[in-house]
Amino acid sequence: MVNEGEYIAVFNSIHRVMKAEKFLKELKFPILLIPAPRAVSSDCGLALRYTEKERIAVESALAGSELAPEMVYCRRGNDYLLCRGVES
Amino acid sequence: MACPLPVVTVKRALEEPGSVGVTVMLDDGAPRENVTRFARNRGYEVNEAVTADGITLTITGSSGGVASPTISSQPERRNLFVTSDRLGDGPEELGRLLMKNFIITLLESPLLPDKILLVNQGVLLATEGSELLETLEKLGNRGVELLSCGVCLDFFGKRDALRAGSVTNMFTIVETLMAAGGTIRL
Repeated sequence: MVNEGEYIAVFNSIHRVMKAEKFLKELKFPILLIPAPRAVSSDCGLALRYTEKERIAVESALAGSELAPEMVYCRRGNDYLLCRGVES
Repeated sequence: MACPLPVVTVKRALEEPGSVGVTVMLDDGAPRENVTRFARNRGYEVNEAVTADGITLTITGSSGGVASPTISSQPERRNLFVTSDRLGDGPEELGRLLMKNFIITLLESPLLPDKILLVNQGVLLATEGSELLETLEKLGNRGVELLSCGVCLDFFGKRDALRAGSVTNMFTIVETLMAAGGTIRL
């Protein structure tokens, strides 16, 4: 469900990721809440998916609202590359 | 013909009793790739010819030699019967989230249902505004047939807003459920 070059943001709690989803949707960002891929999460985790085009705006908006994700990954081929970890 | 209709149409033709194959003319690009992948995954042989009008695929053989396991290619066909846009009881928000997660995760599974039947509020998953439209199209391209209850769409005033799969009636729903080797109700 994550296409090549797209980003996923992983949070440290279900409530936090749902809050982030709601916040970004209110701002009309084209994000999608998806199950976190197995490669980045061993539990029943969730992640927000967005494109590279939206990346800076999405992550800036989250950081500005104290909703910065725990980790951000980028899909490259069959791998998920860690882009950064954010202090939560 | 928009995706995933080419795959669904070819699938139906191949499943006709006595079918030994089909020849289909398609546009190049996604329709060609999706139909070819679907047929080969089911164990069919696919021969391709380029003509002035597009791509002609000749699909022959039987689904006996399956290259990739899918439930629908197993002797026992299994369907998903989705009666709500939420999964389980409890908070509405959580139920919607879980249903979305289930369908998206299904896409990652090598085992797929033959059909997904949507009834009652389940039809809302396939209508405009649903976050699952991208996922449902991908499932369709892998040969999963999506059928939405027409009465339900009318009840919600959403018939014109259907964006994935096709409309069906209770006759087909009953026949499909009774003919299936197994049904999973959500």
